[in-house]
Amino acid sequence: MDPYQYLLLMAACVVITLPLEFVLRARVYRRWRLALAAIAPVVVLYAIWDIVGILRDHWSYNPRFVSGIRLGVMPLEELVFFIVVPLCGLLTYEAVGYVLRRVAAIRATRTARATTDRERADA
Amino acid sequence: MPEYTVLTVVSVVAVVALELLWLRTGLFRRAQYWIAMAIIFAFQTLVDGWLTKLSDPIVQYAPEQMLGIRAPWDIPIEDFGFGFSMVTLTLLLWVRLNRRAEARRSGTAPTEQRPTEQPRPEMTRPDATRVDDR
Repeated sequence: MDPYQYLLLMAACVVITLPLEFVLRARVYRRWRLALAAIAPVVVLYAIWDIVGILRDHWSYNPRFVSGIRLGVMPLEELVFFIVVPLCGLLTYEAVGYVLRRVAAIRATRTARATTDRERADA
Repeated sequence: MPEYTVLTVVSVVAVVALELLWLRTGLFRRAQYWIAMAIIFAFQTLVDGWLTKLSDPIVQYAPEQMLGIRAPWDIPIEDFGFGFSMVTLTLLLWVRLNRRAEARRSGTAPTEQRPTEQPRPEMTRPDATRVDDR
């Protein structure tokens, strides 16, 4: 399993954030074209940074924990990382948005109910 | 300054400048963004902590290319700048693209600059119980 450790970690990120799409109605996968368009430039820019980092010896990847599949000098895992992490970011952002809107809606309902009750009491 | 440190600072400044000078989505003024970022940073710490742990590192860093501050656990401090700029850039593009798509659907020109986020109709409708359009 060791050679797949990095990939499994990325898979775990996808699995853990998946409920946000449905339970907290993030609707990121549902808007996959927009998600792809937002993530694509990030993948390109950060892959370039990663390649620079590898070539300039800022970092390297432990051969024990990566599959060994490479795209040029960059391990496949890094490409997966640059797709998965922004995707998790979008899911989190949209899930938070949904929760905030729910809270606002519940508050609004309560305020409305309180107002009607008061009006009824006045009448 | 070490190279990884320089590149991290450049990426953070570039993304913040992109928003403030060009995209102007208003993302930095939204509670939604800061709450999401707090959650993302918590999970980044877990994932990055696993990737960079010195006992069994997946990613190995050259000490001379970074400041050498590793916390929490063994995470190079620079990684948090890397994560911030990467996720913030994604969110900026996402918000902008969504707004454009919405504007196209409603047939109005996209508004580039919105000082405050327009509340969704259901937030202003007191009787709203349905908040999702599904």
